[in-house]
Amino acid sequence: MTQPKTAVIRSDLDIVIARTMARDAAKALGFGAIDQARIATAVSELARNIFLYAGTGNVSVKEIERSGRKGIEIVCEDQGPGIANVDLVMQDGYSTSRGMGMGLPGAKRLMDEFNIRSQEGVGTTITCRKWRG
Amino acid sequence: MDSLRIPILKIGDILIASIQVALHDASAVQFKDDLLQKIHDTRAKGVIVDLTALDVVDSFIGRLIADIAAMAGLMGTRVVLTGLQPAVAITLVELGLELPRVLTALNLEKGLSMMQRLTEESGDDAA
Ligand SMILES: Nc1ncnc2c1ncn2[C@@H]1O[C@H](COP(=O)(O)OP(=O)(O)OP(=O)(O)O)[C@@H](O)[C@H]1O
Ligand SMILES: [Mg+2]
Repeated sequence: MTQPKTAVIRSDLDIVIARTMARDAAKALGFGAIDQARIATAVSELARNIFLYAGTGNVSVKEIERSGRKGIEIVCEDQGPGIANVDLVMQDGYSTSRGMGMGLPGAKRLMDEFNIRSQEGVGTTITCRKWRG
Repeated sequence: MDSLRIPILKIGDILIASIQVALHDASAVQFKDDLLQKIHDTRAKGVIVDLTALDVVDSFIGRLIADIAAMAGLMGTRVVLTGLQPAVAITLVELGLELPRVLTALNLEKGLSMMQRLTEESGDDAA
């Protein structure tokens, strides 16, 4: 059904493109309005982090299926500075940029599954999923 | 990005801005600056920001809205948000942003009457 799609993040305009891509994919996969907003908002947070902290990276979305259940998987990857302490950045309010420190913990709350793999000097890959209710 | 500048209308003592396009970060910041400047220039008593067309409000836009409300408040101007879609409101709370100090109304019409009440009250206080 829906093809996997990727958006390259290079500017703040690409953040809008990535979240629109994710919303369209979620809609095509049959997610309701609230889940579409959750998914688009999570992607907006993660794409902005790529832009702010890594400069460039990719956001891709694809359809997934597990024991007959359909969902969406979002992978955000960059070759930026990486994250030294993943537990720390997942805390509400932790920010190195005078942000609200809400992006990562908030995106996690909006999705069903959320995983960060990061290595300092190598980059960060965040994989998150949402299952259709 | 001048092409994305959001028009701000003045009706009596009230400013009205309706956001009709997906806001990228630079245009959102431009909007905040334009709005605060216009509040300053016009001494508006109230500002209504209509968000009916916004389908995503992330932490960036959310904070910007909170900043607008706080800064306008310092200038003695009330801010009412209108037309926040239910899905957007739910997502904002789940994200962790509740905008506690921001007044909201269902739509522009209700927002206008809310604003009229608010600005009349503050007019009475001053008298
Ligand atoms: N892709 C990334 N590469 C490197 N560091 C990152 C990345 N994403 C997040 N971080 C680090 O994690 C911290 C927390 O991120 P989070 O998105 O939660 O908050 P924020 O971006 O600081 O503020 P907000 O998102 O609320 O505006 C960031 O301040 C940054 O130090
Ligand atoms: Mg962030």
